[in-house]
Amino acid sequence: MSTPQELIRNFSIIAHIDHGKSTLADRILEVTKAVSDREARAQFLDKMDIERERGITIKAQNVRLRFTAKDGLTYQLNLIDTPGHVDFNYEVSRSLSACEGAILVVDSTQGVEAQTLANVYLAIDQGLEVLPVLNKVDLPSSDVEGTRAQIEEVIGLDCSDSISCSGKTGVGVKDILEQIVLKVPQPKGDPNGPLRALIFDTWYDSYRGAMIMLRVVDGTVRKGDRIKFLSNKTDYEVTELGSFQPFAVALEEIGPGEVGFIAANIKSVHDTKVGDTVTHFANPTDRALPGFKEVKPMVFAGIFPTDSSDYPNLRDALDKLHMNDAAFSFEPDTSEALGFGFRCGFLGLLHMEIIQERLEREFNLDLITTAPSVVYNVYTTQGEVVRVENPAKLPDPQYIERIEEPLVKMQIHVPTEYVGAVLALCQEKRGTQKGMQYASTDRVIITYELPFGEVLFDFHDKLKSVSRGYASMDYEVTGYQPENLVKVDIMVNGEPLDALSIIVHRERAHTRGRALAEKLKEFVPQQQYEVAIQAAIGGKIVARETVRALRKDVTAKCYGGDISRKRKLLEKQKEGKKRMKQVGNVEIPQKAFLAILKVD
Amino acid sequence: MTEAREGACARDIIMEGIGNLVGDAKRRFGVVEISPEETTEGELLERFVHRDAWSQRGLMVGAPLNLRQNSRYIRHGESSMTRNVKPLGVYVHFPWCLKKCPYCDFVSFAKKRDEIDHAAYSDAVLREIEARKGALETTSVETIFFGGGTPSLWEPEELGRVLDALLSMNRITDVEVTLECNPTSLDPDRAKAYCDAGINRFSIGTQSLDAKELSYLGRLHDASLAEAAIDGALATGARVSSDLIFGLPDQPLERAVEHAERLAAHGITHLSCYQLTIEPGTQFGELAKIGRLPLADDGRVAQSFLAIDEALEKKGFSHYEISNYAKPGDESRHNLGYWRGRDYLGIGTAAVGRIGNVRYRNEPDPARYAARTKTMKPGLFGEEDGLSTFEETLDAETLLRERIMLGLRLKEGFDLESDAQELGVEALSKERARELEKLLTKGRVWKKGARIGMTREGWLFANDVAARLF
Repeated sequence: MSTPQELIRNFSIIAHIDHGKSTLADRILEVTKAVSDREARAQFLDKMDIERERGITIKAQNVRLRFTAKDGLTYQLNLIDTPGHVDFNYEVSRSLSACEGAILVVDSTQGVEAQTLANVYLAIDQGLEVLPVLNKVDLPSSDVEGTRAQIEEVIGLDCSDSISCSGKTGVGVKDILEQIVLKVPQPKGDPNGPLRALIFDTWYDSYRGAMIMLRVVDGTVRKGDRIKFLSNKTDYEVTELGSFQPFAVALEEIGPGEVGFIAANIKSVHDTKVGDTVTHFANPTDRALPGFKEVKPMVFAGIFPTDSSDYPNLRDALDKLHMNDAAFSFEPDTSEALGFGFRCGFLGLLHMEIIQERLEREFNLDLITTAPSVVYNVYTTQGEVVRVENPAKLPDPQYIERIEEPLVKMQIHVPTEYVGAVLALCQEKRGTQKGMQYASTDRVIITYELPFGEVLFDFHDKLKSVSRGYASMDYEVTGYQPENLVKVDIMVNGEPLDALSIIVHRERAHTRGRALAEKLKEFVPQQQYEVAIQAAIGGKIVARETVRALRKDVTAKCYGGDISRKRKLLEKQKEGKKRMKQVGNVEIPQKAFLAILKVD
Repeated sequence: MTEAREGACARDIIMEGIGNLVGDAKRRFGVVEISPEETTEGELLERFVHRDAWSQRGLMVGAPLNLRQNSRYIRHGESSMTRNVKPLGVYVHFPWCLKKCPYCDFVSFAKKRDEIDHAAYSDAVLREIEARKGALETTSVETIFFGGGTPSLWEPEELGRVLDALLSMNRITDVEVTLECNPTSLDPDRAKAYCDAGINRFSIGTQSLDAKELSYLGRLHDASLAEAAIDGALATGARVSSDLIFGLPDQPLERAVEHAERLAAHGITHLSCYQLTIEPGTQFGELAKIGRLPLADDGRVAQSFLAIDEALEKKGFSHYEISNYAKPGDESRHNLGYWRGRDYLGIGTAAVGRIGNVRYRNEPDPARYAARTKTMKPGLFGEEDGLSTFEETLDAETLLRERIMLGLRLKEGFDLESDAQELGVEALSKERARELEKLLTKGRVWKKGARIGMTREGWLFANDVAARLF
């Protein structure tokens, strides 16, 4: 039996990365006894190893909880966890669409950050009830009053009865749940109307096929029902229903207002579409639920196997990952230098790193990832528009009429003392200032328009370093703008290394080329012959660096007491060789392909 | 050597080989029960020799290196094979020097000779030997090496007490016993005293015969003192080796060669020629880190390496290990033990040992070492023994990597297949096979039957080659 709607509350937790969202979720699971002590582990909802190791949430998770409130009634609470990182914004909006309310967790030692703001506006836009919660009040540096004032001033949320809590000690967690029951509106679907349910996540299960996470709005879906997707009109029979509590529990039905998953012998996640509406085959609705903006990859990079015989394995691995992560794309690519591989599209740099790491970790592949690139619109003299997502594929200059580069609107939250440094950085990155606003007496929100390509080149790391880690950023792609851009090519021993080509502003091309050649010299280890690294613009050499030949590589003595240390040394040397790609007869390490990210 | 004696030697060597083969077979299959005492030599020969299994343990018939060398220590008495016990090398560390050399990364402390309590150190070492005697009783000690530090500072009588203890429980009589010496602490009388105590091989740290170079290296002796020490050692009739360091800044290649030839002309039969390597944690290492150490050009060092090789090979020395040359039969059997993967027992302050798959390192502080020998637990190796401050348990793959690293240093190379089989792991993983193929094509490595080794050119990139095969 499904739960009556007046006893259901669906909510998300939104927070800036590191503000303690996952820990708070852990406490909520404890308080509602969803996880026994034996099963409890840190960051319960972060299932992937990478998520737990990096302390971030990538895939949204959700869990159904039972909570008996002070009014004596037992409620069904559906907690939908959201990722905090900017790359995974689209996951946030999906999660929010399944809810009526959201807890806004703000670290009371840090205050409001850029991503907090971005996500909170998403929630407000969708009409959610947002409940501010001040976290980490157990820490001595916690400033509850200041943070409250900031939330009221910057976001405009009433904080008069905001709860102070600590995900670490558990203080205030019960109060949060009481407030959810009290303040988050109950779902208001039509129990007797035709079925309308929103798909807000899908994933691939090797035994059941594509799985769908949905939120039922009107009607009820039952085991054995024949369902239909409104977008592509395909139909399936529901073979299984369930919810995570937090372990998967089979259900007979999912009623109005409830959240759960279904399996229906769907072959691939590509047969499903997040944001689609599910209805009954027999008694369908004709009113689709509002869907989502389709997410498009913003950042492209080549992924090549270090050992070319691994190409089929890489393809299989990408196929499998793609089943679970519709946001990332890939298509076959060839590089003269690196051979056969794939050009992959990602939502951002973190997304790219995570995919690479999962490929290596879960599929045991040694990979070379090339420097990421944005997508340029190239207008040719023939009057065509070409989308160039790989600098190596930029048409020759004589065929180019103009190139447009993508721009982002960047919001940076930073303490006043670092404003100067941040402005200097944004200027250096060819930015245009769009606004500056005081979030509180000592914090500023800076808005800039920046070329996305410049943001990829190490912007985040630099921002962190000029602000000693205090600045936070958030951005969205806003459009395209023509610019005077050229391609810088890199040659190694006279052979062009296409994977290292970059597109930069003409005025900076010389400096960038020189800096890149210098960086590469640092990264390319001595080989047993001399290696020349050159940077060229339109066939003209602008920089040359030489890696001297290695003449000897031997340790003089090796007796009983030396063996262990020497073996470890060689093991390290071996580890270094693993990530090398043989280009011509030069061995180039993985990090060299990302050298451009390290260029000042 | 008469023909008859040579014949006897050859038989001994064959028997030694059989002993080893039986040992191997046992290790590998765990069930072979052959007692050499119960079987006639003829039968054994029938069973093993004709299976062309000689290369199994680096004992290649016809390789003069092994023939002569092995003949030295199984001349008389019970040879190790008749007992079918594991061979062992023993290293004894003496942790003091008159002065610490700026390039040296061995554990040593500067101390004047008369400030060292020689007897107390011997007592401590004897306590350790007593606690570790299990390892000595179940093996045959083929070689003993006194290293340091400067063990030639140790009073011969006190050193003799330690040596007696080691030899008293040993089952073979012809043991190679080496003493590492500093020219400043070895005059002819002293050399004689050491021989009386049981030393039969001297290794003298000459390092250079050029005054400027010696001062760069921080050595306290001059060329004439070094040459006198060598002559004095030779006069005792013992085998003598000497060390040279090449690849010093501004050292012309000719000078490096000249030093090697001049030492060889004294009549020594073994030379260690080390290229100067800068080790972290040494005075040189610290200077190099801040860019304050003048260093030689890599290319010139490589040329010196090849020039010394050529000169000494001409004089009848075999370049049997990357940094070592010997007249056939005069190789350092102790060090060959390390490179061939033999077990070694480390005794004394900071000494390192490896018994089976456990490597341990003793307490490196002399005072604490002495104290801890009083409470150490007998029969154990590693941190549990109460004396070690470091231990590592080596899995089979790691042991194989060590065999590769060390075996490649030898002119004779090593038998990858049989080493891997002995350790119970795969010799050629897909990746290793691929790398080996590449190295063979490049001419860095040679392969003869089951054996693999580095070419003369490959030796210049020994680390690179070994790392690729790891």
